[in-house]
Amino acid sequence: MEHIRLPKVEHVKLLDRVSPKKSRVGTLYLTATHSIFVESEDGVRNETWVLHSLVCGVEKQASASGVSLVLHCKNFQLLQFVIPEEKDLQDILLSLQRLSQPESLEELYCFAYKPNVAAEERQREWDFVDLRSEYKRMGLPNAHWKLSPVNQNYEVSDTYPSELFVPESATPPVIAGSSKFRSRGRFPTLSYYNKDNHAAVCRSSQPLSGFSARCLEDEQMLGAVLRSNPRSDVLYVVDTRPKLNAIANRAAGKGYENEDNYSNIKFQFQGIENIHVMRNSQQKMLEVCELRTPSVSDFLLGLEGSGWLKHIKAVLDAAVFIAKAVSEEGVSVLVHCSDGWDRTSQVCSVSSVLLDPHYRTLKGFMVLIEKDWISFGHKFTHRCNHLLGDPKEVSPIIDQFLECVWQLTEQFPCAFEFNERFLITIHHHIYSCQFGNFIGNNERDRQQLEIEKRTHSLWSYLWSNRAEFINPLYRPNHSQTQGVLRPSTAPYCFNFWRGLYNRFDRGVHPRQSVEDCLRTIREETEQLEDQLSSHKQKISKLEERKWSVSVNIFDKSPTAWIFAPDLRLANTPQDYTSCVLTSSPRPAGGSPVLTPHDLNLTTSFNGSDQESGVADLSAPSPFSEESARDSDEAANSAA
Amino acid sequence: MASPVSVYNSNSLDSHISSVSRDSLKMEPLTDVSLLPGEDGVIEKEVIYICPFNGPVKGKVLITNYRLYFRSSDADLMVTLDVPLGAISRVEKMGGASSRGENSYGLDITCKDMRNLRFALKQEGHSRRDIFDLLFRLAFPLSHNLHLFAYVTQEKYEENGWNVYKAMDELRRQGLPNNKWRITFINKSYELCDTYPTVLAVPYKCKEEDLRRVAAFRSRARIPVLSWIHRENQAVIVRCSQPLVGMSGKRNKDDERYLEMIREANDTPKLTIFDARPSVNAVANKATGGGYEGDEYQNAELVFLDIQNIHVMRESLKKLKDIVYPNVEESHWLSSLESTHWLEHIKLVLSGAIQVADKVSTGNSVVVHCSDGWDRTAQLTSLAMLMLDSHYRTLRGFEVLIEKEWISFGHKFASRIGHGDKNHADQDRSPIFVQFIDCVWQMTKQFPTAFEFNERLLLTILDNLYSCRFGTFLYNCESARDQHELRIKTVSLWSLVNSKTDIYLNPFYTPEPNMVLCPVASMRHLELWVSYYIRWNPRIRQQQSPVEQRYKELLALRDEYLKKLEELQLSDSSPAPRVAHNSSTSNTSSSNSSTPSTHCTHLQTPF
Repeated sequence: MEHIRLPKVEHVKLLDRVSPKKSRVGTLYLTATHSIFVESEDGVRNETWVLHSLVCGVEKQASASGVSLVLHCKNFQLLQFVIPEEKDLQDILLSLQRLSQPESLEELYCFAYKPNVAAEERQREWDFVDLRSEYKRMGLPNAHWKLSPVNQNYEVSDTYPSELFVPESATPPVIAGSSKFRSRGRFPTLSYYNKDNHAAVCRSSQPLSGFSARCLEDEQMLGAVLRSNPRSDVLYVVDTRPKLNAIANRAAGKGYENEDNYSNIKFQFQGIENIHVMRNSQQKMLEVCELRTPSVSDFLLGLEGSGWLKHIKAVLDAAVFIAKAVSEEGVSVLVHCSDGWDRTSQVCSVSSVLLDPHYRTLKGFMVLIEKDWISFGHKFTHRCNHLLGDPKEVSPIIDQFLECVWQLTEQFPCAFEFNERFLITIHHHIYSCQFGNFIGNNERDRQQLEIEKRTHSLWSYLWSNRAEFINPLYRPNHSQTQGVLRPSTAPYCFNFWRGLYNRFDRGVHPRQSVEDCLRTIREETEQLEDQLSSHKQKISKLEERKWSVSVNIFDKSPTAWIFAPDLRLANTPQDYTSCVLTSSPRPAGGSPVLTPHDLNLTTSFNGSDQESGVADLSAPSPFSEESARDSDEAANSAA
Repeated sequence: MASPVSVYNSNSLDSHISSVSRDSLKMEPLTDVSLLPGEDGVIEKEVIYICPFNGPVKGKVLITNYRLYFRSSDADLMVTLDVPLGAISRVEKMGGASSRGENSYGLDITCKDMRNLRFALKQEGHSRRDIFDLLFRLAFPLSHNLHLFAYVTQEKYEENGWNVYKAMDELRRQGLPNNKWRITFINKSYELCDTYPTVLAVPYKCKEEDLRRVAAFRSRARIPVLSWIHRENQAVIVRCSQPLVGMSGKRNKDDERYLEMIREANDTPKLTIFDARPSVNAVANKATGGGYEGDEYQNAELVFLDIQNIHVMRESLKKLKDIVYPNVEESHWLSSLESTHWLEHIKLVLSGAIQVADKVSTGNSVVVHCSDGWDRTAQLTSLAMLMLDSHYRTLRGFEVLIEKEWISFGHKFASRIGHGDKNHADQDRSPIFVQFIDCVWQMTKQFPTAFEFNERLLLTILDNLYSCRFGTFLYNCESARDQHELRIKTVSLWSLVNSKTDIYLNPFYTPEPNMVLCPVASMRHLELWVSYYIRWNPRIRQQQSPVEQRYKELLALRDEYLKKLEELQLSDSSPAPRVAHNSSTSNTSSSNSSTPSTHCTHLQTPF
């Protein structure tokens, strides 16, 4: 509170970037957590809330209508306020600069965010995503991989999780030795295990090989990884960096594996650039996004000049290489970069998405982020600029991961259970600091902060709102859903992600979407289904009444009793559909066995039932409101 | 470094190519190719197709008077080509009898539809001479005094596509004639203007002799005539060619008065004249006797739309072809795409049409012209009409739109496409119509539920723009079509389309009769039409959009439910007999104790 110099300014104008005529006048309030703009016209209370933690830049800008305050947000929202009094503007500017860059984690919004949830409920929230059961799902531990207690107290590597899977033959001394030979002690450990062919994706940091150093334990460690895949006699080591960067690291006593020192490894560079290149690239791309009316050349050359899509392609290319090695060649892969928490997280997680349909479901995707990003110590606090800190540590590495997945959803529209909105919402909350999941740089940080006791989890929030995030095209039995995804990585397959980077520029979004159509028709189908089943219930009640009457009529002969339970079983909706739908009455004396015609009907009906299994989300469409608004807009612009 | 990845890609590419069982692949004559009526095979030859994606492929080529058909003989690699000869723009010999190197002797075929084909033949005995001569003759029949295939074939369809468009019917649909606009038959024998249709709509007040005097002042006598009228506000789209102002700045009172009449028809305060050209070009046209409307036209404003001419468009598409065929430029894809300027041209055409539509929907009449008024003008008027009038967004309405604004108003299809003509370097050729279809596609992307037809229709139209199988796109104008008895002797493309419309329908179509589409001509929305321009690349395999497929399934499901409900409700209103019927079956079944149990197992499985 002490940072708020001015809690309220009136007669503030919020400029609309696309159409200046639509600018709004109102009051700007500063609270401990949000800036709130309340429109004061027409009696309609229209509010715009911006979390302080989402603000990444505040600046003064001279514009035609006076001096204005520009807020750049981490979710790519751009707000421009014209404040009449220079002094007020200065106060707001200074307050926001301080509020948006807290000095300690304790100041973050997640510690202030207190929905009315009981303690045990909160623990259940955190238990919703559980990595142990994820490893169990992969089939671990087994004869080849074991859970190692070596990092129980974060003693071997303080940036690794406490529970790690290592090859069965890796002894504690080997692990300890290997970890000493790796940056930040991040020794090779399992990320993904393919139970069909025993091939695994492992991750680590770079070896401290310098120009000639060797480490017997590290060589044994890689040998153990190789042996844990009994059907393969080679191990791929993928260094995700460009070769030049890796060589440069050698001078600092780090570097990469020498094929001659490790038995049966195949070494490979992938050429993904470092965090600084990515940060600059995104900055350039955002400059293109912020152009109000870019010409064709501005847009295409600007986009290409930013290199952004090229970097996305590089990540996807590396992931495709790994997915292919694991699924087609059955070869295990060890992935690393420098510290093994940026590019390595990207490549491991994207290849997991390609390999395993489970990670393309809502829950599976949450687990994946929990595993490869959160637990393996992607430095969220640094990379996402949660606190006032070193700007050189900031980098949109996780943005790139989400975008890779989005690019995949574009190529495989039926393969993912979740929609674009899900990815955008995750992106939003990675930066919002509303939930505890992305606070701190590693598991140890979060334990010290007692995140699970003091904050809430995004995952259960997403899960309870899952109706909004379901892709209407997804079906578990679709050919795209099953098996390994083989995307094309030709440059023209990468599109600009308008939905994320121009998320708040309403004018640039299409006014009609096929997804809305699908949603509507699916809702319609579901309503019909409901009607149908309620009709059938009614009928079956009628039927039972009739039956109880007829039982009374029947004499109590044994045959009748034998028959009765059968018929009760048959008193199911399906029975009635099939019966009701037979158009002509059955020939008297004919058997009640289903005719092929009936069978068809029932099976097709069941099929559709299963389909709607996706659809306990029949809740009112979150899009309906939006689509209504969109069509209003279209009408407006048409008028 | 990247090699394993590219190998991976080519693997996935191979998986697209279906392998066929070995026994079906002996060197048998290609007898199973289904030919069109009137189509005859003339030569069959063993050749090697130099496939840019899979390398040399051995196989057999069949040439008929309509198509070039190739099928590989390799069991592992099924490659077929089926190219209408009309799509060929150039046939060349490659290498000589003494050329060295494998597959260096053969034919090089350039196509109009964004691809090239190369065939290698045996070097001995002039093996390519006969095939070259035949191809050259059959692909360019008009250069060899032969008939176009459309005049040879006698395809039969349920529907006669020539009935799709009747000028009078369409004008009547628009509510014409009325008290401001009348229909004139002054051009019934093409005396006024040989490139215009016979039926024209002009201001009511205008007399026939006025029209003649206006014709004298407009390039090729293409006088301003009505294309479309807004039902409510009576604003009109009028099209014409440039005025013949010339260097001396000639004036023509009749032309000025004529435009004033157009303005007066709905009391537009200011008539907007859209000159599609860049202003520089318009000025330059004065030197050759053309020009644009100056200040002497009162109550009119002139807007240049900066759309480039046919030569610029031709070069742009050529550049686009260079970066997508055979291989897609990889290292600098976006800047290469930018350097073709194709999307920029698309953007200009679309935003021009948006401006036209915007004026008209706000009640202002407009005049659209370029130089001759048959290229850019057709693009602008037809796209604006597509935005304004939902009728043109139906399948049949779209056919009408093409028939009307393009075919009847004399877009020079024969010259722009070069049907049956060997002169591949003809400066008259230009992909103006392709550009129009691309713009339509861009609109369908932005408004996926506004169009009754789907992408497949657009692809079919473009394929048959070249194929010469139908009469639809032949000749430059109506007078030439009449002279060659086109409607009598050939079949219309719309006969094919309208005889099986279901494959061309967009399942997402939701009719909204009075909706005006207002597309965004912003780069954030325009995209390259990959499934047309890069469709020969096997990485872009055409597949039915899963979205569309899923939607169709849901539609079917809905209909099924609706039907069931209906039946239930029917039976619900008279439940007594049904229940009786049901219990009667159970009564009968009680006599047979084994059947009910099987009955039950069926029923239990779903739970």
